[in-house]
Amino acid sequence: MHSVSDVTQATVIHDRLEVGEGAGAGPVAPVGAWAAEYLAAGDAERRLVEAALRCFARWGIRKTSVDDIAREAGVSRATVYRVVPGGKDRLVQVVLCHEAGRLFHTMDAELSAAETLEDLLVTGIRGLLLVADGHDVLRTLIRDEPELVLPHFAFHQLDRIFDLADTLARPHLSRFLPPEDVRPAAELLARVVLTYAFRPTPWVDPHDPDSVRRLVRTYLVPALTSPSVSEPSLSDRTTDPAQEST
Amino acid sequence: MERDGLGALTVEEVAREAGVARATVYRTFPGGRDEVVGAAVAHAVAGFFADLRRDIGDAPDLATLLERGLVAARRRLESHAALQRALQEEAGQIVPRLATVMPLVIDGVRAELTSRLARERLRPGVVPDQAADLLARLFLSLIGSPGSWDLDDPDAARRLVRGQLLAGVVELDPPG
Repeated sequence: MHSVSDVTQATVIHDRLEVGEGAGAGPVAPVGAWAAEYLAAGDAERRLVEAALRCFARWGIRKTSVDDIAREAGVSRATVYRVVPGGKDRLVQVVLCHEAGRLFHTMDAELSAAETLEDLLVTGIRGLLLVADGHDVLRTLIRDEPELVLPHFAFHQLDRIFDLADTLARPHLSRFLPPEDVRPAAELLARVVLTYAFRPTPWVDPHDPDSVRRLVRTYLVPALTSPSVSEPSLSDRTTDPAQEST
Repeated sequence: MERDGLGALTVEEVAREAGVARATVYRTFPGGRDEVVGAAVAHAVAGFFADLRRDIGDAPDLATLLERGLVAARRRLESHAALQRALQEEAGQIVPRLATVMPLVIDGVRAELTSRLARERLRPGVVPDQAADLLARLFLSLIGSPGSWDLDDPDAARRLVRGQLLAGVVELDPPG
């Protein structure tokens, strides 16, 4: 374990007292609702979300007002509140979700063309990591307003991302996995993409397709296709080696 | 922080609680309030993982270590009053702080797993450093956000570890 002083030295980050309350708090939407919302979104909502993203890019999240977004989208304030009733924190969620969905759909054709699970995972993971790497708006928001963005990617809030991953990846994963294995697979893949997007490592480099393929072939395909190991005989063996000799 | 939260913390209060002068706080933490909060969060995280290591350090093999680790860590996290309160009331304060120390946490878990992997039969093509990196990240992700895995259930933890985590990494004995 690292000493406290080691850790302390790494700990300098924006500290904005004025957002202490509210950010990330509030009730969690029921499972699936978030992703379903994305898919059901109409053109007006999409326009609104895209306008919000442009405003965030220009001014940051905190300085963007509901009026700014309404003006940018060419709709009334009332429309903004109707589409996103939960205020700005909720709006950040919705924007992140829509953006992830939009980017995912730009890969649809490529993902549909994959003929093996390995190819599907290489295409999807590499595509998402490349997008994350080049997404200046998201990177700027994470750097400048981590207190408004990061909570959406941590702890119970990740359940929304898992819902989204399940919704978006299911049609593709279902071609290679039985239905009951799709949800856990989507969650695993979401974890992999998020960790290597937020904290890149040289051994998983989206600019080097071979590195992604090694990750997928060596670790992920076996992880997603191994037979379930829940037999009681196995648990007896591992928890009580003495039984083996009897 | 446990009593009043992160947002309300002042250097004066820290000094009073510790029974030292304000100047002493600033001498120890020249960055003031921000540095005090960072140090306290880092200290809590280090303590969490030191406790976890005591819970599971004697696990005989990698699979058992991960299985017990997930169950024990999840239990500790859910009963961690200060963290749960912070996540409810000031997630915007606590999550970036935790994100800042996370690279060091990953390093620590990765080091532990690397030494454990040296004693396992690895599958063909597995590079120990890479496997340890991936496992450390997934382990930490699962502790914070178990998703649809019920980590109160040791049997679910066993399926998770022997499937998603280790199926590509080590040769596991077949059941039976």
